[in-house]
Amino acid sequence: MMSTPTLTKDPNTLAAPAPSPATKRRGIKPRSWAPNTGAARFRSGARRAGRGIWGSGAIILFLLLWELGPIYLAPASTRVFLPPLHVVLQALARLVENGQLQNHLAASLTRSASGFGIAVVAAVALGLLVAWYRSLDQFLNPLLEVFRNTAALALLPVFTLLLGIGEISKISIVAYAAFFPVLLNTIAGVRTVDPLLIRAARSLGLSNFQLFQKVILPSAVPTIFTGIRMAGTSSILVLIAAEMVGAKAGLGYLIVNSQMSFLIPDMYAGILTVSLLGLLVNYLLVAVERHFSRWRTAVGSQAA
Amino acid sequence: MTSGTGPPPKISLENITKKFTVRPTKENPEGSVLTALDGISLDMSAGEFITLVGPSGSGKTTLLDLLAGLTKPDTGRVLVDGREVTGPGRDRAVVFQQYALFPWRTAAANVSFGLEGTGSDGKRYSRKERAEKAREYLDLVGLGGFEDRYPHELSGGMKQRVAIARSLAYEPDVLLMDEPFAALDAQTREQLQTELLRIWATTGKTIIFITHGIDEAVYLGQRVAVLSSRPGRLKQIVDIDVGDRSGDEDVRSNAAFVEHRHKVWSLLHDEVRRAQEAGHAKIQPDGSAPDEARNVSTGKAA
Repeated sequence: MMSTPTLTKDPNTLAAPAPSPATKRRGIKPRSWAPNTGAARFRSGARRAGRGIWGSGAIILFLLLWELGPIYLAPASTRVFLPPLHVVLQALARLVENGQLQNHLAASLTRSASGFGIAVVAAVALGLLVAWYRSLDQFLNPLLEVFRNTAALALLPVFTLLLGIGEISKISIVAYAAFFPVLLNTIAGVRTVDPLLIRAARSLGLSNFQLFQKVILPSAVPTIFTGIRMAGTSSILVLIAAEMVGAKAGLGYLIVNSQMSFLIPDMYAGILTVSLLGLLVNYLLVAVERHFSRWRTAVGSQAA
Repeated sequence: MTSGTGPPPKISLENITKKFTVRPTKENPEGSVLTALDGISLDMSAGEFITLVGPSGSGKTTLLDLLAGLTKPDTGRVLVDGREVTGPGRDRAVVFQQYALFPWRTAAANVSFGLEGTGSDGKRYSRKERAEKAREYLDLVGLGGFEDRYPHELSGGMKQRVAIARSLAYEPDVLLMDEPFAALDAQTREQLQTELLRIWATTGKTIIFITHGIDEAVYLGQRVAVLSSRPGRLKQIVDIDVGDRSGDEDVRSNAAFVEHRHKVWSLLHDEVRRAQEAGHAKIQPDGSAPDEARNVSTGKAA
């Protein structure tokens, strides 16, 4: 069964009947009903394989075009700037072999993970405060709006001037970029708690703190995780850009430095790594988000 | 059944008045004061089942909030066991129309919600005791075996059963029910009415039950309290005697039932018309009433 956490709806899961009690408990995706006869199983297997091929068709075509285009279509002068796929993969293998890629990857991951972590902790805490105290919200909101609408990369020179080109400035800009999606979603999550649930909890005589801990926080968790997922994506984007401007290691540095040194296959190897990393991070965060939103709604709803 | 020389009343409403300030709006820049309840006095003895009917906006839910301790009256007192109600407490439980289950908790975890932490009597339940209680009360409402289901996996009737179990689990003396069956289909509703009478008979709770349905009020209540249109006043209390309701016989078609039903209907009829002419709609929990600002009945679906 397909269970990749992409946002495309798998028509088969949607058409499947409501999950049976046994499978539904632990959030197991409803499997399409598979009749037990061999022929039917073969047919459904073939259908699934067909869907798999169709689903990866665009990717395969793109990779083919990348491989064959530069060799057969492009003039020799362009081929230098757009090497075919196997050359890029060779460069990637060489970078892995001599350990360079791992070094750059580790540098980038350390920075984005620290910035991201700081942002999540700070933004969730501030978001809870702002959502709980309306006067604080009125006071802070205009300023937050200004900062939120200032592109993080526009502030990159400021961060570099004030904090230098070392680690601190990069971690800070990642934290800045990741901060706002988490903050806004935390506020939204707390604000949209069903008032009826609050009434129900109040009628049980819960104190403010218990209300917060037992009703408001659990109810806001899925929305908070949506913000965290968005923050994860943007923290990588911003980091790569920051590393391209001034750094001595990291994937962004690898890309720019390879370009400057005319190691074009290495440059593409760096780009490929960035996109794979982005995919992986998004995959993980979507899985986490889904885990925490299991209770939200039944079949057919999608985490937005 | 009315209070007299017998035992002291379980619940006593003494001349309750409740007003809301309507926020200023464009059409109504001054704001205004809305009197939801006016001079309500009512005594209930322990173990009694009383139903409360009244047109939209007559303050039924406000009265329930006062009993639950979610709001305070402007004048008068609400007494439970002779003590004035100052806030929510575990001697009273509320069952809401929209179930109000916590969607991230399983049925069992919902039922044990009220058992967590230290109760007002200083009692603490261990995790195991809570699970046992949850199972016991889910059994009582006929949901044994559904402990691990999440609310979105349950039907409306089952959700309301879980909500009732949650309210019963911490063993309150008084059950306050705000149109609990209004969102259910007719068949499920009838089934749950029978169940509720059975639960009432086994547990001996004092029940105050708000409803829109005259049939429901007459079928369930030992007494039916009829509220007038806004401002809500107690128009009349009708004693109901329709014989044994626990049997298999169709109580709703016997002569006594029809007679009582007609009596309540006549009392309510004028009030409903008056409320409609005035365009009254439900008073929101925050005290605003949509009709007070716009004079348009929103006809909130019940």
